[in-house]
Amino acid sequence: MQISSNELTSLLKRVFEGMGYPVGYYEDAAGLVKWLQVHGEQGFGELQRALPFVADTQRPALQLLAEESQALLFDCFGRSALNCLPSIVELAATKVLEQGCVNVKVRNCHNRKFVLKLLSDCARQGISVLAYWQNGKQPISEHVASIAAGATHPTYSEALLGDGSMPDTQTLTLMLSTRIDLLGQLHGSASQRSGFRQISPEQFARAGQSSLEGGMVIAIELWQQLNQLAEAVLVESSEQSRSGAGGR
Amino acid sequence: MSTSSSIDISISAGHALHMRPPHVVMDLERLGSLHQSRLSFMRSLVRKIMREGWRIEPRRFDLDAEGYGTVIYRVQTNVDLFSFVLFSQYLDPDKRNDRVIASEWDLTMSLCEGEVDDDYVEYLRLNVPLQEAGRLDAKVMVLSRANRSVRNFDSVVAALSAGRQPEVEQIAQVGYLYRTTAVYGSGKLGMADWEKVNGKHPDFARPFAAEMFNCFMLRNFSLQQAEHIARQRAPETAVPMHPPLKRFFGIGNSTGLGMAPYLINHPQLISRWIEMRELALARVRGLGQITVERLARLHSLVERGVLHIQQTVTEDAWQTDNNRQVLDDFAALQDWLGSQRLESWAPLLSWAEASLSLQAQELLNCILLELYPELVDNLEDRFALAESLDLQPQMLASELLSLIEQRYAWALAIDFEADGATETFWYRSEEKQEPRLGNCNLENGSDKQMPLGIGYLAQQCHHQLSAYLAEHPEHCTASFLLRHPEQRGIVRRMQSMAKTHYGEIQANLLDREVLPMHLLRCKLAFFGVSKFDPRSRLWVRNTMFQGAPLLEDIGQPFEDDWFLPLAPTREVC
Repeated sequence: MQISSNELTSLLKRVFEGMGYPVGYYEDAAGLVKWLQVHGEQGFGELQRALPFVADTQRPALQLLAEESQALLFDCFGRSALNCLPSIVELAATKVLEQGCVNVKVRNCHNRKFVLKLLSDCARQGISVLAYWQNGKQPISEHVASIAAGATHPTYSEALLGDGSMPDTQTLTLMLSTRIDLLGQLHGSASQRSGFRQISPEQFARAGQSSLEGGMVIAIELWQQLNQLAEAVLVESSEQSRSGAGGR
Repeated sequence: MSTSSSIDISISAGHALHMRPPHVVMDLERLGSLHQSRLSFMRSLVRKIMREGWRIEPRRFDLDAEGYGTVIYRVQTNVDLFSFVLFSQYLDPDKRNDRVIASEWDLTMSLCEGEVDDDYVEYLRLNVPLQEAGRLDAKVMVLSRANRSVRNFDSVVAALSAGRQPEVEQIAQVGYLYRTTAVYGSGKLGMADWEKVNGKHPDFARPFAAEMFNCFMLRNFSLQQAEHIARQRAPETAVPMHPPLKRFFGIGNSTGLGMAPYLINHPQLISRWIEMRELALARVRGLGQITVERLARLHSLVERGVLHIQQTVTEDAWQTDNNRQVLDDFAALQDWLGSQRLESWAPLLSWAEASLSLQAQELLNCILLELYPELVDNLEDRFALAESLDLQPQMLASELLSLIEQRYAWALAIDFEADGATETFWYRSEEKQEPRLGNCNLENGSDKQMPLGIGYLAQQCHHQLSAYLAEHPEHCTASFLLRHPEQRGIVRRMQSMAKTHYGEIQANLLDREVLPMHLLRCKLAFFGVSKFDPRSRLWVRNTMFQGAPLLEDIGQPFEDDWFLPLAPTREVC
């Protein structure tokens, strides 16, 4: 079925609010999912894979394990990027505006592809960012996203790692700088590396424009599933509550 | 980014022009006293249609003798083409309900980009009459529905069929044939996002312009439909309605609580709207001289205002008292004007602020704006805003504390321990997600309340931040939020709103005595409605486009003078 970007945001906010995300977090989480979907990177698919992890309010809170002048180390304790990464990137952005360069390591974090929107947010503040992570079991894939300061869209590339590689599948490495444009991408090409794919900033921009023009398609089952999750924010109706609606 | 734009220049100018301060302007009761002005969205839209000479014609007018069927209007603007598609169907009187929980309506309609072919009309026919239960695509910009004011409609048709004009007195009682009960846009139900409309269709690139146009078209259809039925019923005797009478018909509107959260959830936009209105007023207030012609126009509009209020019908005791007070105030205003030799508007405004009720003050302000189109109208292009609440994580926590104490002093001054101060909660019901108000002492569900109590949240954040700063005086906002993630939303909001000129609506929306009516009226006044008729503290009936030009007036001389519409006199009819 066809949905609009605004409709998706509104629904996702309620979904995450219903999962117990605080005000401020549920808007961010909705924004991260929407960004991926609007820009053609299967935000819905990522969200479906993320659903087992996103209702994670019972897990320990995100923790800053170590801080040096140009480095930060976080543990997400198995939480989803959806409710950890915005805070992490903000703290890192604050630091990089002071220091010029910052390295960030994030441990035990799921759904790291959602970092793509945050790269765009950083770039708007004049910060260049490079993100690297691995994903999956066998085969393991590796991912790089980067953006120049002031750019509107990142570059993203992914490819499979060769057999025998040691996986590091819940870690995210971020490099941020206000002095260097960190425009990294994976080595190789589609003919050389299995599963190689690269998306340019222009492709992201075109995908975004297309979603705006024609809306997005979502599987009806997922739409229903999300709506059911969103029902958690609704209050049961009663005669008393109907009077609070200004019955006429 | 949030609100930095060319508007900043105007803001600076505004300071020099003595714009009214936020604690005065953002007071909830004052916002609930606003009226239509030249900057209201309906006024801007009508100016555009008339000045550009949009060509609006029925491409298909398939109605049976009872007025049921399909109508498609082709709307050719200077730069674009749209289709307004309307379905009219029989409605069992028992099912006629203005609330959001209704499932059938007399009329359902949509505004679409471009032409619509037969297949697309069939697609719309399958979905538009279902409203929230249907699905649309990004070609559709607005979806709406309306219910007939049966008594008025039937008597108008009966009169026209019999060769008579409808009674003016009756129209003055209920100035419309249909009431619209919901007008959806901005991506609802699969429709085009605001970003698309704003970027692709400059004709509707102002807030709610497409939604207002939908209502303008509905109003015109309602009159054409009544004339059509009369002709079908009595072809020998039926007469068309006289244009002055037709213009006095608006379109009814019934607005409930659902509109209220919008004002809290779009604070940057609301602040901008208020700022533009205040900037216009400051420009007028700052004028150094008054011509005889403008003064005469003031007298004329004050007199018109008195008549308009006298002709406003409401059964609501509170609104009746307000209207009575405005009439008393305007009588005093006329006396005062008769005793003064005004050389600028500042003395008048100072006298009004000291002597008149809020509703009378704001009506007078609207009248003053009416006198100076050249100072006011160009601000209409600045009402749109790319909203974005951005956190400033690097801000020192101590700086954040100062920001709260300066810009949210109103919130810190509220005694939330007082009896009833947090008794109300706002929530979404499982019944069609209808927004409702609950009482914490009487109802369950406060754990699921919407975060609309901004004053309360600001005060809570201030407490937390003060305690945090005692331990970490040198820390920044990001560090504070790492410790207190629950404050993320309100901190982001406060930092963003501190950059706006007017900031937040200053009220405790959790108070037992809160009047959501004020929020509804504020937004409706910006839309440009008139004849406010509250039906409770939670919903209000009103009239849109009363007095506005008709489709057949496009291309004729246009004075843009449908402010404070009056019932036509018998001579004019």
